[in-house]
Amino acid sequence: MKTTKQARRDAKQLFHTCKVSGLLDETRVRNVVGAVIAQKPRGYVGILTHFQRLVKLDLDRRAARVESAVPVSEALQQSVKANLGLRYGPGLAVTFAVNPALIGGLRVKVGSDVFDGSVKARLSELEASF
Amino acid sequence: MSNLLQEIEAQISGVKTSVNKQNVGIVRECADGVAKIEGLTDAMLNEMLDFGNGVTGLALNLEETEVGAIILGDYLSIHEGQEVKTTGKLLSVPVGKGLLGRVVNMLGQPIDGKGPIKEDAFYPVEKIAPGIIRRKSVSQPVQTGIMAIDAMIPIGRGQRELIIGDRGTGKTTIGVDTMINQARNNKVGRASGDKTFRPIYNIYVAIGQKQSNVARVIAELEKADAMGDTIVVAASASDSAANQYMAPFSGAAMGEWFMDNGMDALIIYDDLSKQAVAYRQVSLVLKRPSGREAYPGDVFYLHSRLLERSARVSEKYGNGSLTALPIVETQAGDVSAYIPTNVISITDGQIFLETDLFYQGVRPAVSVGLSVSRVGSAAQIKAMKQVAGRLKGDLAQFRELAAFAQFGSDLDAKTQGILERGKRVVEVFKQPQFDPIAVEIQVAVLWTVQNNYFDDVDVEKIKDFQAKLTEFLTTRKADLLTKIRTEKAINDALAAELKAAVGEFKQTYR
Repeated sequence: MKTTKQARRDAKQLFHTCKVSGLLDETRVRNVVGAVIAQKPRGYVGILTHFQRLVKLDLDRRAARVESAVPVSEALQQSVKANLGLRYGPGLAVTFAVNPALIGGLRVKVGSDVFDGSVKARLSELEASF
Repeated sequence: MSNLLQEIEAQISGVKTSVNKQNVGIVRECADGVAKIEGLTDAMLNEMLDFGNGVTGLALNLEETEVGAIILGDYLSIHEGQEVKTTGKLLSVPVGKGLLGRVVNMLGQPIDGKGPIKEDAFYPVEKIAPGIIRRKSVSQPVQTGIMAIDAMIPIGRGQRELIIGDRGTGKTTIGVDTMINQARNNKVGRASGDKTFRPIYNIYVAIGQKQSNVARVIAELEKADAMGDTIVVAASASDSAANQYMAPFSGAAMGEWFMDNGMDALIIYDDLSKQAVAYRQVSLVLKRPSGREAYPGDVFYLHSRLLERSARVSEKYGNGSLTALPIVETQAGDVSAYIPTNVISITDGQIFLETDLFYQGVRPAVSVGLSVSRVGSAAQIKAMKQVAGRLKGDLAQFRELAAFAQFGSDLDAKTQGILERGKRVVEVFKQPQFDPIAVEIQVAVLWTVQNNYFDDVDVEKIKDFQAKLTEFLTTRKADLLTKIRTEKAINDALAAELKAAVGEFKQTYR
């Protein structure tokens, strides 16, 4: 289904009302979805589809994924979280994962920024330089 | 020994492992050579994107939630969910003299199987044209070797002269002839040992053409020994629209290197109507709003920023130049279509080729009335001005009278004279393809026409007379031709010599 311009504009406006001091508020998002479904304004499916996309992009932007070759200690997790918080501000959803393919080091992805300090990345960089 | 180990240890501990920040995105959709990428929050306009596996893209649309990019290279290998990285670089192509004699694609990679190219530098494909301060007015000629053009629609170094006409009217031929003539002139100039001689290098950009046509042009250039001074940039019909749309810009970057380094270059865009069509395709797939004939709103800017890059640079900035001969194809002679009017208004004149003339046997089929050169007459050599000054007016008058004379037979002597002269001039301007004429021969022949030596020759025999006169002058009076070439003007002594030579020829001609 094609989302109309008006639906996109409405979805964007709703999305902005869900923000509390720059951060997306989950309860407000739920309330908005519930209210839209209850009132069924014109083109509400399109509005909700686009609204979902905006929320997804916002969540993606605030999602931080930290990959390591071996499980990371609690202390290190706390320090990574603190450092990322300093750099990107509050509201980050940090997840930790184990990826043995990295061989060693950390790979941090926040939104579309990637900080790759893994051994694997360095090896492939070396390979490319030959 | 232990010292050495400690030193190494100290150095290792001193090395800091730095982690580079990268900006990545995910391909959301990919079709028709255009990819929509989510993420890539740091992408800049016209930035090169790395798709991995040696495929690069160009960020053209920066939208609120995604980036629209054209893919240069094999877009079939790209799949949804693939990671894309920014590079922080603008698209660049190799430039320099190492490209002469080669056939390259839009990225400057060789496609002629002659091994790698040794480049002098890399130039960004999109570059701002030289400003007012750096420029100088056009004052040196580009000899096309086509008599009708050199005499009536002269082109100067740094000029942009549009070649426009229907399909099959000889547009490409004019470009190829010009390139062959540059190569010949370069050879003569280099052999003469003249320190002030400035060669012109050719760049031929083939856009959206059949590969067989490109191969034919290359074969003609090779046959005329002109490939050594030529770069061919080919984005044929089988290349993606993105490649076709970018190819003229890479060609212009290669030409700019010559201009920036104090040399002269000539670039032929064959043709810009196909490039506009390729750009329209890319724009429509990128969902940019379309305007007249479904072209995007910035199709004028597409051509104006390309052609503005042709310039004559002043002595202070190297004295180089880049002359452009864009080609545009019309449909049924309609010059008021969108792309033709745009490019006519951008360029410094146009050579209009007419189908009717072509089939009447007037080849090159240059329409004298509709063709103009707005700056080139300042660049014509004096000798040519002396012999060709009134030619264009005379021919225009002839065309008018010829149409009128079809109805009546009683014409006064003056009108008769104009008609007879006009018929002979039209004959003289007919010229076979891939055989450009040197400027000194053009001057000598036109001088002969202007001094009434052709008047008593039958119209059917004009070409024969001209050919034999040319042969006579090149074999028997080579020193006279050399004088015309070096002095670049016809003074009284030279006129007397020409008179004697042509008189001698007329006595032997039958």
